[in-house]
Amino acid sequence: MMPVTRRAAGFSSVALAALGLSLIAQELTLPLKPNSVRFAVIGDMGTGEKPQYELAEEMARYRQKAPFDFVITVGDNIYGGDSPGDYKTKFERPYKALLDAGIPFYATLGNHDKPNQRFYKPFNMNGLQYYTYKKGDVRFFALDTNYMNPAQLAWLEKELQNSGSSWTICYFHHALYSSGAFHGSSTELRLVLEPLFVRYGVQVVFAGHDHVYERVKPQKGITYFTEGASGALRSGNLRKTLLTAAGYDRDCSFMLIEIAGDELYFQTISRTGQTVDSGVIPRVGATSGVASRSAISPLAVDVR
Amino acid sequence: MSSRVGVVGLLPWLLLPEVVSSGLTHHAQAPPVSVEEARVFKIFTARIRQYVKLQKDVEASLPVLKPTNEVARIAAHQQALARKIAQARGGAHQGDIFTIEVSKTFRRIIREEFLGPEARLARRTIRRDDPSERVVRLHVNDIHPEDIPLTTTPPTLLSKLPQLPKDLAYRIVGRDLTLKDTKAGLIVDLIPNAIPLNTP
Repeated sequence: MMPVTRRAAGFSSVALAALGLSLIAQELTLPLKPNSVRFAVIGDMGTGEKPQYELAEEMARYRQKAPFDFVITVGDNIYGGDSPGDYKTKFERPYKALLDAGIPFYATLGNHDKPNQRFYKPFNMNGLQYYTYKKGDVRFFALDTNYMNPAQLAWLEKELQNSGSSWTICYFHHALYSSGAFHGSSTELRLVLEPLFVRYGVQVVFAGHDHVYERVKPQKGITYFTEGASGALRSGNLRKTLLTAAGYDRDCSFMLIEIAGDELYFQTISRTGQTVDSGVIPRVGATSGVASRSAISPLAVDVR
Repeated sequence: MSSRVGVVGLLPWLLLPEVVSSGLTHHAQAPPVSVEEARVFKIFTARIRQYVKLQKDVEASLPVLKPTNEVARIAAHQQALARKIAQARGGAHQGDIFTIEVSKTFRRIIREEFLGPEARLARRTIRRDDPSERVVRLHVNDIHPEDIPLTTTPPTLLSKLPQLPKDLAYRIVGRDLTLKDTKAGLIVDLIPNAIPLNTP
């Protein structure tokens, strides 16, 4: 198992509350290095309700400080109806500032999404259920976990073989590892996807589905994040398990990622602008381990 | 009881020849099929090809759908495609593609999946988001239910059923297995109560 270096433990807000602590606002800590790959991660956001709008405003505010170049979505982009009005109120209006700034979104489909969202140009899916693209030295795979058929698995394996990048990141809707009480881990998907991820050196995976934020302890060398609280939220739904490295389930959140050389920096930010988790993941092969910089360091709580 | 012993090849994958030679991991490999399964799958595949031909002919009569900012155009294309396919298949009935013997074979494969050693995983995969567990009545040529969250079709089951061309998918709604045209949003055929109850 990959050794893990942790400078501070991460916590769910449940654990924090038990300690009578509150989150401490933290300034932006990403390194903002020149020529790095910077993007935001959102998931389960398409409610069209106030929390989605407020989090989207926070994203736009953060972009002034940390200019990220694109956004990836881990699905449930548009809940409920699928009319032009729904796309307006659940996507185009909340993210107007980002869209007006020319920030592209690269979407995946969640279980609440209609398959023909793949033809909606601002989602950059080009009519495809699953697809790949490259940014700098990072190869991204956007997968459809609603329908993980042999054709998709074969395509994924072939594309992973030819990744040709220092970093390989996969993202999709259903979390392979999750401590969310409502859904939890998608174990059958894990059986078919994890062997490919391990064999072909995927370093980081983003998913949603459970409406919480969670960073999972590295599993077989891979760091898994759940960011399913960028609009929908199941407050108090994160059950701290042996998987949990850090988590947050008291408010909506999004993630900022910066990849610079052999390091991936992450920072998870709440609707009120508080950093609830952050850290750096060295590229496997360069060094190993995850160093986390929790907003609540240097306190520590046992991970149960 | 299982007849999946006589290996005759990789028939479930024949619709995707590029898959067979890709050097897959064991999780993605096609399981062996029996002679009888191969025969039934061949019937099924022939009917799928007929449907795909009809689908393509109908779609050729419509403006090409390309990625667009105009959601109304996407919706209009789907609706027109669904309407025209439904018209072209006006006499379609349940069982036209999932024929009696195809259904029988599919039911057995599904039963093995949901009552076999990996049943727990498959049942967990199809656990629904919809807490009401309401029963939805499905009919051929109707629009596939859009107001309930999609159920992930178990990947291990998908590896055992004949592979489908792009824009067709196996879907699970309640206990029914549907054949869905994902572009038109139509129910092409279905096997009612294909998913067995928890006990054999």
